[in-house]
Amino acid sequence: MEQQLEKVLSEILTTPETVGALLANRQGLCLGAKGNINPNVSGIGMAISEQVAKLEPNSTLPATVCLYSGNKRCVIQKDGEITGIIYKQTATATTASTSASN
Amino acid sequence: MSDDIKKYFNGLLQKVSGLYVIQITDRDGVPLLRVSNSQEKNVDFALMPSFIPTFTTACDQASKLGLGRNKTIISMYSNYQVVQMNKLPLILTFVGAEDCNTGHILALEHQVDGYLEDIKLAVTEP
Repeated sequence: MEQQLEKVLSEILTTPETVGALLANRQGLCLGAKGNINPNVSGIGMAISEQVAKLEPNSTLPATVCLYSGNKRCVIQKDGEITGIIYKQTATATTASTSASN
Repeated sequence: MSDDIKKYFNGLLQKVSGLYVIQITDRDGVPLLRVSNSQEKNVDFALMPSFIPTFTTACDQASKLGLGRNKTIISMYSNYQVVQMNKLPLILTFVGAEDCNTGHILALEHQVDGYLEDIKLAVTEP
C-alpha cells in the first residue's frame, strides 16, 4: 500500500548529503521514514511548519524551513496535507581537510 | 514543587495549538493535576467518573493482544481527540480539537517523564 511512499523516500535519500527523510500527515503522524531520522519528530516538524506558515498567511506557495545545527541541517516543507522533513549532513571541516591531505 | 509542575504543563498546553486540557490522574480517575485553556471549549467530560476507568479497562484488554504492553490510546471524535497515556500508576490524558497535532502530543511523552516521576512518588508513598 505504501510502496509509492517508500519509493519517494528512497529517491530522496539518494540525493547528496541526505541522511534521513520523513513524511507526515495532517495530524502530524509519521507516514513513512527512511534513513537516520526519528519518526517522533513528525509532530514537531509539522508544528514548526504550521507556525512558519503564519508569517505569510496570504502566500500560496508552501513555506520551506531550514534549520542549521553544526554540520547538519533539517529542511521542512508543508505542501497541502503532507509535510516532508529531510535531514542533511555535510562532511565536517576536519574530515574534509583530512581527506584533502590524503 | 506543585506550582513548578503546573507551570510546566501550562507551558506545554500553550505550545500545542488546539490542545484544550492536560490531565494527570491515578488509574481510578482521581484527578492529581489538571491544566486547561480557559478560553477554549468546556471539556469537563474528561473528569467524568467513568472516563478514566474505561481507558484503564481498554488498556488492560489491549495489552492482551500479544503485541506487548499497551502504552497509548488515541480516540478521534467528531469534535475532539483524546490521547491517553498509560504511565502507571498515573494516567496522562490530553484532550484537543479534532485537527490538533496528534504527533506533537505523542512527542511530549518523553519530555514529561521527568516531571511525572515526582508525581509518581507522591502517589506511591504510603
